[in-house]
Amino acid sequence: MHGPGSGPLEFLGSRLARRRMSKDSEKQKQARDQARLIADVAMRKDRQAFVSLFGYFAPRIKSLLMRGGAPAEMAEDLAQEAMISVWRKASCFDPARASPAAWIFTIARNLRIDVARRSQREKVYAVLETVEPDGPEQPDAIITASQRESKVREALNILPPEQLEVVRLAFTEGMSQSEIAEALKLPLGTVKSRTRLAMTRLRQKLEEVR
Amino acid sequence: MTITHHPDDDVLAAYAAGTLDDGSAFVIAAHLAMCGACRSAVRDFECIGGVLLGETEPSRLGRAHDGAVMQELAAPQELRRKLAVTTAPDTAVDNLISIFGQSSWKWRGFGVHSADIGVPVDNGMRVFLLKAAAGTRMPQHTHSGVELTLVLKGAFQHEFGRFEPGDIEMADGDIDHRPIVDAGSECVCLVAMNGRLQLHGLVGRLLQPFVRI
Ligand SMILES: [Zn+2]
Repeated sequence: MHGPGSGPLEFLGSRLARRRMSKDSEKQKQARDQARLIADVAMRKDRQAFVSLFGYFAPRIKSLLMRGGAPAEMAEDLAQEAMISVWRKASCFDPARASPAAWIFTIARNLRIDVARRSQREKVYAVLETVEPDGPEQPDAIITASQRESKVREALNILPPEQLEVVRLAFTEGMSQSEIAEALKLPLGTVKSRTRLAMTRLRQKLEEVR
Repeated sequence: MTITHHPDDDVLAAYAAGTLDDGSAFVIAAHLAMCGACRSAVRDFECIGGVLLGETEPSRLGRAHDGAVMQELAAPQELRRKLAVTTAPDTAVDNLISIFGQSSWKWRGFGVHSADIGVPVDNGMRVFLLKAAAGTRMPQHTHSGVELTLVLKGAFQHEFGRFEPGDIEMADGDIDHRPIVDAGSECVCLVAMNGRLQLHGLVGRLLQPFVRI
């Protein structure tokens, strides 16, 4: 007879849990390493560090932009442009505020729209970087960006598929709520409420570490 | 500043994903400048983009890119006007408005003036400042489109609550309201709106042709 906690299923379960755990700590380590590379670019104009970042992110940014509808060649040019921004803005990267992937996502996001609107978008989005932290933002300091990223990953992993779908279409495909509603043949209100439920889940996950 | 009315999470998520129209993004940015809680939420939501970017299957880079990129890195950097100058929250909105420019005030009826903000119209969304004299009673109205209103100064209230500086109200065709501005002070709001106001009642219908908001 197996005692509680020692059966084959429990054993398998704990192994899976451990594997998931090690995958998570792997991801956290990767985020820390990337943050260090960005710091090296910022402080020493370290090209080797930049090449590593480029090798990881440029092909992914290209995919992201292609999923958003950009033709391959354009996506590639923009991916390069995004990485050149990483080189130039490296000193603006604040590892306490964002994980490297989240920061680089925001750079790619601002390139996703047509050229004419880009400069104003940058100005509108600069608010996040320019306003000094006040009260409610402070508690953030106690969780690191890589912890936050791992909680966000956890939350995404447990989202019901219909919520994950609307989140993906917005963040990866760059579709607006009404475009999503049209694509999925859903009322706009449903797209909104699914998004809100997903964000609530995310907030709950982050509460665990705040 | 105690803010009680925040944008819904789906709007903050759209801001984080970069899928909002420019007018709405402008008003949300102004709210973020005033609201640490929502700034923090947007940072959390941007992290979704980071995670999904990391999970994206990488594409092969087709052309020889290294040379061009490396050349770009070597190019002398023009001294970037740093956007990242730290700003106190109360001046951040003024900065944002001054970057895009503001037209002169125009009279709109009912003790209301408006001034356009130079955010180019995107998806029908116009951005303007609305200034209503103390004690103004707006006529009962709904909207043919979407309206985001951020209070910058003074306060107003209606059936659905009281709105003070930093508070944001999101209204669409389903919401029928009649805002009343506080008696003590004029009220200045930043508004992004598509469509027109639809006035109700006999007086409203008579006035509709003259209202250009
Ligand atoms: Zn807020």
